[in-house]
Amino acid sequence: MIKLHNVSKSYDSNVHALHGVNLHIEPGEFVSIVGQSGTGKTTLLRLLIAEERPSKGKIVIGGWDISTIKSAQVPFLRRQIGVVYQDFKLLPKKTAAENIAFALEVAGDARRRVREVVPQVMRIVGLEGKERRYPHQMSGGEQQRVAIARALVHRPKVLVADEPTGNLDTITAHEIIDLLRKINNFGTTVVLVTHDKTIVNHLKGRVITLKDGTVVRDHVGNYTLA
Amino acid sequence: MRTLHRTTKFALQNIWRNIWLSLATVLVFVLTLTTINILITLHVLTDAAIQSIEDQIDISVYFKKGTSEDILFGAQDYLASLSQVSGVEYVSGEEALRRFSERHRYDERILQALEVVGQNPFGGELIISARNTDDFAFILEALKNPTFGSAIESQDFSDHERVIQRIDAFTQRVQFFALILAGIFALIAVLIVLNSIRVSIYTHREEIGIMKLVGASNNFVRLPFIIEGILFSFVATAMTIAIVYPTATAMEPQLAQFFEQQNIGLSSYYLQNAYWIFGGQFLALAILSIIASSLALNRYLRV
Repeated sequence: MIKLHNVSKSYDSNVHALHGVNLHIEPGEFVSIVGQSGTGKTTLLRLLIAEERPSKGKIVIGGWDISTIKSAQVPFLRRQIGVVYQDFKLLPKKTAAENIAFALEVAGDARRRVREVVPQVMRIVGLEGKERRYPHQMSGGEQQRVAIARALVHRPKVLVADEPTGNLDTITAHEIIDLLRKINNFGTTVVLVTHDKTIVNHLKGRVITLKDGTVVRDHVGNYTLA
Repeated sequence: MRTLHRTTKFALQNIWRNIWLSLATVLVFVLTLTTINILITLHVLTDAAIQSIEDQIDISVYFKKGTSEDILFGAQDYLASLSQVSGVEYVSGEEALRRFSERHRYDERILQALEVVGQNPFGGELIISARNTDDFAFILEALKNPTFGSAIESQDFSDHERVIQRIDAFTQRVQFFALILAGIFALIAVLIVLNSIRVSIYTHREEIGIMKLVGASNNFVRLPFIIEGILFSFVATAMTIAIVYPTATAMEPQLAQFFEQQNIGLSSYYLQNAYWIFGGQFLALAILSIIASSLALNRYLRV
Protein backbone atom coordinates (compact mmCIF):
# COMPACT_ATOMS: atom_id res chain seq x y z
CA MET A 1 0.00 0.00 0.00
CA ILE A 2 2.64 2.54 1.13
CA LYS A 3 6.19 1.79 0.00
CA LEU A 4 9.27 3.89 0.61
CA HIS A 5 12.36 2.63 -1.14
CA ASN A 6 15.69 4.14 -0.11
CA VAL A 7 14.12 7.60 0.38
CA SER A 8 16.39 10.52 1.27
CA LYS A 9 15.59 14.18 1.68
CA SER A 10 18.22 16.90 1.88
CA TYR A 11 17.56 20.63 2.08
CA ASP A 12 21.06 21.55 1.04
CA SER A 13 24.37 19.78 1.04
CA ASN A 14 24.60 19.94 4.87
CA VAL A 15 21.02 19.30 6.08
CA HIS A 16 19.84 15.69 5.66
CA ALA A 17 16.32 15.31 7.05
CA LEU A 18 15.88 11.69 5.90
CA HIS A 19 18.51 9.22 4.80
CA GLY A 20 17.88 5.90 3.03
CA VAL A 21 14.45 5.21 4.55
CA ASN A 22 12.82 1.90 3.55
CA LEU A 23 9.24 1.26 4.68
CA HIS A 24 6.38 -0.99 3.74
CA ILE A 25 2.97 -0.36 5.26
CA GLU A 26 0.19 -2.85 4.45
CA PRO A 27 -3.43 -1.83 3.77
CA GLY A 28 -5.49 -1.55 6.98
CA GLU A 29 -2.46 -1.22 9.27
CA PHE A 30 -2.26 1.26 12.16
CA VAL A 31 1.35 2.44 12.27
CA SER A 32 2.92 4.87 14.72
CA ILE A 33 5.98 6.76 13.57
CA VAL A 34 7.89 7.99 16.59
CA GLY A 35 11.08 9.78 17.39
CA GLN A 36 12.37 12.87 19.06
CA SER A 37 12.00 16.33 17.57
CA GLY A 38 14.09 16.84 14.44
CA THR A 39 14.34 13.15 13.55
CA GLY A 40 12.49 13.57 10.26
CA LYS A 41 8.92 12.53 11.23
CA THR A 42 7.27 15.63 9.77
CA THR A 43 9.49 15.48 6.67
CA LEU A 44 8.28 11.92 6.11
CA LEU A 45 4.68 13.08 6.37
CA ARG A 46 5.32 15.98 3.98
CA LEU A 47 6.74 13.54 1.47
CA LEU A 48 3.64 11.32 1.75
CA ILE A 49 1.31 14.21 0.83
CA ALA A 50 3.70 15.59 -1.81
CA GLU A 51 4.26 18.82 0.08
CA GLU A 52 7.88 18.03 -0.72
CA ARG A 53 9.64 15.73 -3.15
CA PRO A 54 12.32 13.23 -2.11
CA SER A 55 15.91 14.07 -3.08
CA LYS A 56 16.47 10.38 -3.73
CA GLY A 57 14.44 7.16 -3.69
CA LYS A 58 10.91 6.20 -4.55
CA ILE A 59 7.55 6.60 -2.76
CA VAL A 60 4.61 4.54 -3.95
CA ILE A 61 1.11 4.92 -2.53
CA GLY A 62 -1.57 2.51 -3.73
CA GLY A 63 0.51 1.71 -6.80
CA TRP A 64 1.05 5.42 -7.63
CA ASP A 65 4.67 6.54 -7.72
CA ILE A 66 4.52 10.01 -6.20
CA SER A 67 8.29 10.61 -6.11
CA THR A 68 8.14 12.67 -9.27
CA ILE A 69 4.49 13.71 -9.11
CA LYS A 70 3.59 16.79 -11.17
CA SER A 71 2.14 19.86 -9.41
CA ALA A 72 -1.15 19.55 -11.28
CA GLN A 73 -1.62 15.99 -9.93
CA VAL A 74 -0.95 16.88 -6.29
CA PRO A 75 -4.58 17.91 -5.54
CA PHE A 76 -5.77 14.49 -6.77
CA LEU A 77 -3.31 12.73 -4.45
CA ARG A 78 -4.42 14.85 -1.49
CA ARG A 79 -8.05 14.00 -2.13
CA GLN A 80 -7.09 10.32 -1.71
CA ILE A 81 -5.07 10.72 1.48
CA GLY A 82 -6.74 12.12 4.58
CA VAL A 83 -4.43 14.32 6.64
CA VAL A 84 -4.89 15.52 10.21
CA TYR A 85 -2.54 18.13 11.71
CA GLN A 86 -1.54 19.11 15.22
CA ASP A 87 -2.79 22.68 14.64
CA PHE A 88 -6.00 21.39 12.98
CA LYS A 89 -5.55 23.64 9.92
CA LEU A 90 -9.21 24.64 9.73
CA LEU A 91 -10.35 27.60 7.66
CA PRO A 92 -11.13 30.19 10.34
CA LYS A 93 -13.85 32.00 8.39
CA LYS A 94 -15.80 28.83 7.61
CA THR A 95 -18.12 26.92 9.93
CA ALA A 96 -17.43 23.30 10.96
CA ALA A 97 -19.79 22.00 8.26
CA GLU A 98 -18.31 24.36 5.63
CA ASN A 99 -14.77 23.23 6.51
CA ILE A 100 -15.75 19.63 5.97
CA ALA A 101 -17.78 20.41 2.85
CA PHE A 102 -14.83 22.35 1.41
CA ALA A 103 -12.82 19.14 0.91
CA LEU A 104 -15.68 17.76 -1.21
CA GLU A 105 -16.32 21.02 -3.04
CA VAL A 106 -12.71 21.38 -4.20
CA ALA A 107 -13.00 17.92 -5.72
CA GLY A 108 -16.09 19.03 -7.66
CA ASP A 109 -18.57 16.75 -5.82
CA ALA A 110 -22.24 17.50 -6.45
CA ARG A 111 -24.14 19.60 -3.93
CA ARG A 112 -26.44 16.67 -3.15
CA ARG A 113 -23.49 14.46 -2.24
CA VAL A 114 -22.02 17.24 -0.08
CA ARG A 115 -25.35 17.50 1.77
CA GLU A 116 -25.38 13.73 2.32
CA VAL A 117 -21.78 13.14 3.33
CA VAL A 118 -21.15 16.09 5.66
CA PRO A 119 -23.80 15.16 8.28
CA GLN A 120 -22.66 11.50 8.05
CA VAL A 121 -19.02 12.24 8.89
CA MET A 122 -20.02 14.77 11.54
CA ARG A 123 -22.03 11.99 13.18
CA ILE A 124 -19.07 9.59 12.96
CA VAL A 125 -16.79 12.05 14.75
CA GLY A 126 -19.49 12.99 17.28
CA LEU A 127 -20.14 16.57 16.22
CA GLU A 128 -23.89 16.54 15.55
CA GLY A 129 -25.48 19.91 16.30
CA LYS A 130 -22.20 21.83 15.92
CA GLU A 131 -22.36 22.29 12.16
CA ARG A 132 -22.68 26.08 12.30
CA ARG A 133 -19.92 26.74 14.78
CA TYR A 134 -16.77 28.52 13.65
CA PRO A 135 -13.39 27.04 14.71
CA HIS A 136 -12.88 29.77 17.34
CA GLN A 137 -16.20 28.77 18.93
CA MET A 138 -15.02 25.16 19.46
CA SER A 139 -12.66 23.40 21.85
CA GLY A 140 -9.37 21.92 20.67
CA GLY A 141 -10.83 18.40 20.73
CA GLU A 142 -13.84 19.50 18.69
CA GLN A 143 -11.62 21.28 16.18
CA GLN A 144 -9.55 18.13 15.78
CA ARG A 145 -12.75 16.13 15.22
CA VAL A 146 -13.70 18.57 12.46
CA ALA A 147 -10.25 18.06 10.93
CA ILE A 148 -10.68 14.27 11.11
CA ALA A 149 -14.16 14.52 9.60
CA ARG A 150 -12.72 16.62 6.77
CA ALA A 151 -10.00 14.01 6.22
CA LEU A 152 -12.65 11.27 6.03
CA VAL A 153 -15.07 12.79 3.51
CA HIS A 154 -13.34 11.22 0.53
CA ARG A 155 -13.31 7.80 2.27
CA PRO A 156 -9.53 7.71 1.92
CA LYS A 157 -7.57 4.46 1.94
CA VAL A 158 -4.87 6.20 4.00
CA LEU A 159 -5.22 8.64 6.90
CA VAL A 160 -2.05 10.42 8.01
CA ALA A 161 -2.13 12.16 11.39
CA ASP A 162 0.71 14.51 12.33
CA GLU A 163 0.84 14.87 16.14
CA PRO A 164 -2.98 15.03 16.27
CA THR A 165 -3.00 15.05 20.07
CA GLY A 166 -0.19 17.57 20.51
CA ASN A 167 -2.50 20.45 21.43
CA LEU A 168 -4.99 18.42 23.46
CA ASP A 169 -5.39 17.39 27.11
CA THR A 170 -4.91 13.70 28.01
CA ILE A 171 -8.60 12.72 28.04
CA THR A 172 -9.36 14.47 24.75
CA ALA A 173 -6.16 13.03 23.26
CA HIS A 174 -7.33 9.49 24.08
CA GLU A 175 -10.75 10.23 22.60
CA ILE A 176 -9.08 11.31 19.36
CA ILE A 177 -6.88 8.20 19.30
CA ASP A 178 -9.95 6.03 19.89
CA LEU A 179 -11.61 7.79 16.97
CA LEU A 180 -8.57 7.03 14.78
CA ARG A 181 -8.76 3.37 15.86
CA LYS A 182 -12.44 3.30 14.97
CA ILE A 183 -11.58 4.67 11.52
CA ASN A 184 -8.82 2.05 11.22
CA ASN A 185 -11.34 -0.65 12.10
CA PHE A 186 -13.36 0.39 9.04
CA GLY A 187 -10.31 -0.59 6.95
CA THR A 188 -8.47 2.71 6.57
CA THR A 189 -4.68 2.59 6.91
CA VAL A 190 -3.67 5.02 9.64
CA VAL A 191 -0.18 6.50 9.88
CA LEU A 192 0.20 8.32 13.20
CA VAL A 193 3.20 10.60 13.62
CA THR A 194 3.76 11.31 17.29
CA HIS A 195 6.29 11.61 20.07
CA ASP A 196 3.71 10.87 22.79
CA LYS A 197 4.89 7.70 24.56
CA THR A 198 1.59 7.17 26.44
CA ILE A 199 -0.44 7.20 23.24
CA VAL A 200 1.90 4.75 21.48
CA ASN A 201 1.95 2.38 24.43
CA HIS A 202 -1.85 2.58 24.64
CA LEU A 203 -2.14 1.53 21.00
CA LYS A 204 0.14 -1.52 21.30
CA GLY A 205 0.55 -1.56 17.50
CA ARG A 206 3.37 -1.32 14.98
CA VAL A 207 5.92 1.34 15.92
CA ILE A 208 8.51 2.72 13.51
CA THR A 209 11.24 4.67 15.27
CA LEU A 210 13.20 7.36 13.46
CA LYS A 211 16.50 8.77 14.59
CA ASP A 212 18.65 11.27 12.71
CA GLY A 213 16.57 10.71 9.57
CA THR A 214 16.85 6.92 9.46
CA VAL A 215 14.60 4.06 10.61
CA VAL A 216 16.33 2.58 13.65
CA ARG A 217 13.54 0.27 14.81
CA ASP A 218 10.38 -1.24 13.32
CA HIS A 219 8.49 -3.45 15.78
CA VAL A 220 5.13 -4.20 17.41
CA GLY A 221 4.87 -3.08 21.02
CA ASN A 222 5.77 -0.15 23.19
CA TYR A 223 7.55 3.13 22.45
CA THR A 224 11.24 2.67 23.14
CA LEU A 225 13.93 5.08 22.07
CA ALA A 226 16.71 3.33 20.24
CA MET B 1 -19.73 25.81 -14.22
CA ARG B 2 -19.96 24.18 -10.80
CA THR B 3 -16.47 25.45 -9.95
CA LEU B 4 -17.42 28.99 -11.03
CA HIS B 5 -20.59 28.86 -8.96
CA ARG B 6 -18.71 27.60 -5.89
CA THR B 7 -15.80 29.99 -6.21
CA THR B 8 -18.25 32.90 -6.63
CA LYS B 9 -20.02 31.75 -3.45
CA PHE B 10 -16.65 31.55 -1.64
CA ALA B 11 -15.70 35.01 -2.93
CA LEU B 12 -18.95 36.52 -1.62
CA GLN B 13 -18.48 34.69 1.71
CA ASN B 14 -14.90 35.96 1.94
CA ILE B 15 -16.00 39.54 1.28
CA TRP B 16 -18.74 39.38 3.91
CA ARG B 17 -16.73 37.50 6.54
CA ASN B 18 -13.71 39.76 6.10
CA ILE B 19 -15.85 42.85 5.78
CA TRP B 20 -13.32 45.32 7.26
CA LEU B 21 -10.52 44.15 5.01
CA SER B 22 -12.93 44.25 2.06
CA LEU B 23 -14.00 47.81 2.93
CA ALA B 24 -10.37 48.91 3.33
CA THR B 25 -9.48 47.48 -0.09
CA VAL B 26 -12.50 49.11 -1.76
CA LEU B 27 -11.68 52.42 -0.05
CA VAL B 28 -8.12 52.33 -1.42
CA PHE B 29 -9.55 51.63 -4.88
CA VAL B 30 -12.04 54.52 -4.55
CA LEU B 31 -9.31 56.94 -3.45
CA THR B 32 -7.14 55.87 -6.37
CA LEU B 33 -9.96 56.31 -8.89
CA THR B 34 -11.00 59.64 -7.35
CA THR B 35 -7.43 60.92 -7.73
CA ILE B 36 -7.46 59.91 -11.40
CA ASN B 37 -10.82 61.64 -11.87
CA ILE B 38 -9.47 64.81 -10.24
CA LEU B 39 -6.78 64.75 -12.93
CA ILE B 40 -9.44 64.32 -15.63
CA THR B 41 -11.41 67.25 -14.11
CA LEU B 42 -8.27 69.40 -14.16
CA HIS B 43 -7.80 68.50 -17.83
CA VAL B 44 -11.38 69.61 -18.62
CA LEU B 45 -10.94 72.81 -16.62
CA THR B 46 -7.65 73.64 -18.35
CA ASP B 47 -9.38 73.20 -21.70
CA ALA B 48 -12.25 75.41 -20.48
CA ALA B 49 -9.80 78.09 -19.32
CA ILE B 50 -7.97 78.08 -22.65
CA GLN B 51 -11.30 78.11 -24.50
CA SER B 52 -12.42 81.03 -22.34
CA ILE B 53 -9.36 83.03 -23.37
CA GLU B 54 -9.68 82.01 -27.01
CA ASP B 55 -13.34 83.04 -27.04
CA GLN B 56 -12.29 86.54 -26.12
CA ILE B 57 -10.04 86.78 -29.15
CA ASP B 58 -11.63 88.02 -32.37
CA ILE B 59 -10.82 89.97 -35.51
CA SER B 60 -12.21 93.46 -35.75
CA VAL B 61 -12.59 94.59 -39.37
CA TYR B 62 -13.17 98.33 -39.78
CA PHE B 63 -14.80 99.48 -43.01
CA LYS B 64 -14.20 102.78 -44.73
CA LYS B 65 -16.65 105.54 -43.98
CA GLY B 66 -19.45 105.61 -46.47
CA THR B 67 -19.33 101.88 -47.19
CA SER B 68 -22.81 100.82 -48.26
CA GLU B 69 -24.85 98.49 -46.09
CA ASP B 70 -25.11 96.06 -49.01
CA ILE B 71 -21.34 95.56 -48.92
CA LEU B 72 -21.30 95.39 -45.11
CA PHE B 73 -24.11 92.85 -44.80
CA GLY B 74 -22.80 90.97 -47.82
CA ALA B 75 -19.44 90.63 -46.09
CA GLN B 76 -21.20 89.59 -42.87
CA ASP B 77 -23.22 86.87 -44.66
CA TYR B 78 -20.17 85.62 -46.53
CA LEU B 79 -18.02 85.41 -43.42
CA ALA B 80 -20.82 83.79 -41.36
CA SER B 81 -21.11 81.08 -44.03
CA LEU B 82 -17.48 80.00 -43.51
CA SER B 83 -17.14 76.85 -41.43
CA GLN B 84 -14.12 78.33 -39.65
CA VAL B 85 -16.19 81.26 -38.35
CA SER B 86 -18.23 80.81 -35.20
CA GLY B 87 -19.86 84.25 -35.24
CA VAL B 88 -19.91 87.66 -36.98
CA GLU B 89 -21.21 90.71 -35.15
CA TYR B 90 -22.08 93.92 -37.01
CA VAL B 91 -21.24 97.16 -35.24
CA SER B 92 -22.38 100.52 -36.63
CA GLY B 93 -19.94 103.41 -37.33
CA GLU B 94 -20.91 105.22 -34.10
CA GLU B 95 -20.67 102.12 -31.98
CA ALA B 96 -17.39 101.19 -33.69
CA LEU B 97 -15.93 104.62 -32.82
CA ARG B 98 -17.09 104.28 -29.19
CA ARG B 99 -15.57 100.81 -28.84
CA PHE B 100 -12.37 101.85 -30.63
CA SER B 101 -11.96 104.82 -28.32
CA GLU B 102 -12.67 102.65 -25.31
CA ARG B 103 -10.20 99.97 -26.38
CA HIS B 104 -7.42 102.52 -27.00
CA ARG B 105 -8.26 104.83 -24.12
CA TYR B 106 -4.69 104.68 -22.80
CA ASP B 107 -3.06 105.15 -26.18
CA GLU B 108 -2.56 108.94 -26.37
CA ARG B 109 -1.19 108.79 -29.90
CA ILE B 110 -4.34 107.10 -31.30
CA LEU B 111 -6.69 109.37 -29.34
CA GLN B 112 -4.85 112.45 -30.64
CA ALA B 113 -5.06 111.11 -34.18
CA LEU B 114 -8.84 110.72 -33.78
CA GLU B 115 -9.06 114.35 -32.58
CA VAL B 116 -7.05 115.53 -35.57
CA VAL B 117 -9.43 113.75 -37.91
CA GLY B 118 -12.29 115.57 -36.19
CA GLN B 119 -15.02 113.24 -37.42
CA ASN B 120 -15.95 109.57 -37.14
CA PRO B 121 -13.59 107.76 -39.48
CA PHE B 122 -15.40 104.43 -39.07
CA GLY B 123 -17.87 103.26 -41.53
CA GLY B 124 -18.91 100.19 -39.63
CA GLU B 125 -17.20 97.19 -38.08
CA LEU B 126 -17.49 93.42 -38.24
CA ILE B 127 -16.29 91.45 -35.24
CA ILE B 128 -15.40 87.94 -36.35
CA SER B 129 -14.94 85.03 -33.95
CA ALA B 130 -13.18 81.88 -35.12
CA ARG B 131 -14.03 78.33 -34.06
CA ASN B 132 -10.35 77.67 -33.51
CA THR B 133 -7.33 79.90 -33.13
CA ASP B 134 -5.71 78.04 -36.05
CA ASP B 135 -8.54 79.32 -38.29
CA PHE B 136 -7.62 83.00 -38.00
CA ALA B 137 -5.06 82.72 -40.82
CA PHE B 138 -7.78 81.37 -43.14
CA ILE B 139 -10.23 84.11 -42.09
CA LEU B 140 -7.62 86.82 -42.70
CA GLU B 141 -7.14 85.43 -46.19
CA ALA B 142 -10.94 85.36 -46.71
CA LEU B 143 -11.07 89.09 -45.90
CA LYS B 144 -9.20 89.73 -49.15
CA ASN B 145 -12.40 88.83 -51.03
CA PRO B 146 -12.67 91.37 -53.92
CA THR B 147 -16.38 92.11 -53.25
CA PHE B 148 -15.61 93.87 -49.97
CA GLY B 149 -11.81 93.67 -49.52
CA SER B 150 -11.27 97.16 -50.95
CA ALA B 151 -13.83 98.66 -48.53
CA ILE B 152 -11.84 97.52 -45.46
CA GLU B 153 -10.08 100.38 -43.69
CA SER B 154 -8.14 98.26 -41.22
CA GLN B 155 -8.02 94.98 -39.30
CA ASP B 156 -7.37 94.78 -35.59
CA PHE B 157 -5.76 91.40 -35.29
CA SER B 158 -2.02 91.86 -35.03
CA ASP B 159 -2.27 92.49 -31.26
CA HIS B 160 -3.97 89.16 -30.79
CA GLU B 161 -1.66 87.15 -32.99
CA ARG B 162 1.09 87.12 -30.40
CA VAL B 163 -1.40 86.20 -27.67
CA ILE B 164 -2.69 83.29 -29.70
CA GLN B 165 0.83 82.04 -30.32
CA ARG B 166 1.50 82.25 -26.59
CA ILE B 167 -1.74 80.45 -25.76
CA ASP B 168 -0.89 77.70 -28.25
CA ALA B 169 2.54 77.30 -26.71
CA PHE B 170 1.01 77.38 -23.22
CA THR B 171 -1.60 74.77 -24.18
CA GLN B 172 1.08 72.48 -25.53
CA ARG B 173 3.09 72.87 -22.34
CA VAL B 174 0.02 72.24 -20.17
CA GLN B 175 -0.86 69.13 -22.17
CA PHE B 176 2.71 67.84 -21.93
CA PHE B 177 2.77 68.49 -18.17
CA ALA B 178 -0.66 66.85 -17.79
CA LEU B 179 0.64 63.80 -19.67
CA ILE B 180 3.62 63.48 -17.32
CA LEU B 181 1.34 64.01 -14.31
CA ALA B 182 -1.10 61.39 -15.60
CA GLY B 183 1.78 58.97 -16.05
CA ILE B 184 3.00 59.55 -12.48
CA PHE B 185 -0.56 59.24 -11.10
CA ALA B 186 -1.14 56.06 -13.09
CA LEU B 187 2.10 54.58 -11.74
CA ILE B 188 1.16 55.51 -8.16
CA ALA B 189 -2.34 54.09 -8.70
CA VAL B 190 -0.90 50.83 -10.03
CA LEU B 191 1.46 50.54 -7.04
CA ILE B 192 -1.36 51.27 -4.55
CA VAL B 193 -3.68 48.69 -6.11
CA LEU B 194 -0.90 46.08 -6.34
CA ASN B 195 0.00 46.64 -2.72
CA SER B 196 -3.54 46.55 -1.36
CA ILE B 197 -4.16 43.25 -3.19
CA ARG B 198 -0.86 41.89 -1.87
CA VAL B 199 -1.84 42.83 1.69
CA SER B 200 -5.28 41.26 1.24
CA ILE B 201 -3.74 38.00 -0.01
CA TYR B 202 -1.01 38.05 2.64
CA THR B 203 -3.70 38.02 5.34
CA HIS B 204 -5.18 34.91 3.69
CA ARG B 205 -1.86 33.09 3.25
CA GLU B 206 -2.59 30.41 5.88
CA GLU B 207 -6.02 29.73 4.45
CA ILE B 208 -4.50 29.37 0.99
CA GLY B 209 -2.08 26.76 2.38
CA ILE B 210 -4.93 24.88 4.06
CA MET B 211 -7.01 24.90 0.87
CA LYS B 212 -4.08 23.38 -0.99
CA LEU B 213 -3.52 20.73 1.68
CA VAL B 214 -7.12 19.52 1.48
CA GLY B 215 -6.80 19.04 -2.27
CA ALA B 216 -7.80 22.35 -3.85
CA SER B 217 -6.29 22.96 -7.27
CA ASN B 218 -4.44 26.22 -7.90
CA ASN B 219 -7.33 27.54 -9.98
CA PHE B 220 -9.85 26.70 -7.27
CA VAL B 221 -7.80 28.79 -4.81
CA ARG B 222 -7.17 31.58 -7.32
CA LEU B 223 -10.69 32.07 -8.64
CA PRO B 224 -12.35 33.47 -5.47
CA PHE B 225 -9.58 36.08 -5.18
CA ILE B 226 -9.96 37.01 -8.85
CA ILE B 227 -13.75 37.27 -8.46
CA GLU B 228 -13.25 39.35 -5.30
CA GLY B 229 -10.92 41.68 -7.23
CA ILE B 230 -13.49 42.13 -10.00
CA LEU B 231 -16.28 42.78 -7.48
CA PHE B 232 -14.10 45.24 -5.54
CA SER B 233 -13.31 47.04 -8.81
CA PHE B 234 -16.99 47.21 -9.71
CA VAL B 235 -18.09 48.51 -6.30
CA ALA B 236 -15.18 50.99 -6.21
CA THR B 237 -16.06 52.31 -9.70
CA ALA B 238 -19.73 52.65 -8.72
CA MET B 239 -18.76 54.52 -5.53
CA THR B 240 -16.38 56.76 -7.50
CA ILE B 241 -19.19 57.63 -9.95
CA ALA B 242 -21.44 58.41 -6.96
CA ILE B 243 -18.76 60.80 -5.65
CA VAL B 244 -17.36 62.35 -8.84
CA TYR B 245 -20.49 63.04 -10.93
CA PRO B 246 -22.59 64.82 -8.28
CA THR B 247 -19.50 66.78 -7.16
CA ALA B 248 -18.79 67.86 -10.75
CA THR B 249 -22.44 68.88 -11.22
CA ALA B 250 -22.50 70.81 -7.93
CA MET B 251 -19.23 72.62 -8.66
CA GLU B 252 -20.10 73.55 -12.23
CA PRO B 253 -21.96 76.85 -11.62
CA GLN B 254 -19.13 78.23 -9.46
CA LEU B 255 -16.51 77.08 -11.98
CA ALA B 256 -18.47 78.61 -14.87
CA GLN B 257 -18.60 81.89 -12.95
CA PHE B 258 -14.88 81.67 -12.25
CA PHE B 259 -14.01 81.09 -15.91
CA GLU B 260 -16.60 83.65 -17.08
CA GLN B 261 -18.36 81.08 -19.19
CA GLN B 262 -22.01 80.11 -19.37
CA ASN B 263 -21.20 76.43 -19.19
CA ILE B 264 -17.92 74.70 -18.39
CA GLY B 265 -19.27 71.39 -19.66
CA LEU B 266 -17.73 69.35 -16.83
CA SER B 267 -20.77 67.23 -15.96
CA SER B 268 -21.70 66.83 -19.62
CA TYR B 269 -18.09 65.77 -20.34
CA TYR B 270 -18.42 63.02 -17.73
CA LEU B 271 -21.87 62.08 -19.02
CA GLN B 272 -20.84 61.93 -22.68
CA ASN B 273 -17.64 60.01 -21.95
CA ALA B 274 -18.99 57.90 -19.06
CA TYR B 275 -18.43 54.59 -20.85
CA TRP B 276 -14.84 55.45 -21.68
CA ILE B 277 -13.94 57.11 -18.39
CA PHE B 278 -15.64 54.85 -15.86
CA GLY B 279 -15.78 51.74 -18.02
CA GLY B 280 -12.07 52.16 -18.69
CA GLN B 281 -11.32 52.73 -15.02
CA PHE B 282 -13.31 49.61 -14.05
CA LEU B 283 -11.57 47.51 -16.70
CA ALA B 284 -8.10 48.79 -15.79
CA LEU B 285 -8.76 48.21 -12.09
CA ALA B 286 -10.19 44.72 -12.65
CA ILE B 287 -7.31 43.67 -14.94
CA LEU B 288 -4.81 45.09 -12.46
CA SER B 289 -6.50 43.19 -9.61
CA ILE B 290 -6.44 39.94 -11.57
CA ILE B 291 -2.75 40.33 -12.40
CA ALA B 292 -1.89 41.41 -8.83
CA SER B 293 -3.89 38.51 -7.31
CA SER B 294 -2.28 35.97 -9.60
CA LEU B 295 1.23 37.26 -8.90
CA ALA B 296 0.72 37.56 -5.13
CA LEU B 297 -0.93 34.13 -4.90
CA ASN B 298 1.84 32.26 -6.71
CA ARG B 299 4.08 32.49 -3.65
CA TYR B 300 1.49 30.85 -1.37
CA LEU B 301 0.35 28.21 -3.86
CA ARG B 302 3.63 26.34 -3.60
CA VAL B 303 2.26 24.01 -0.88
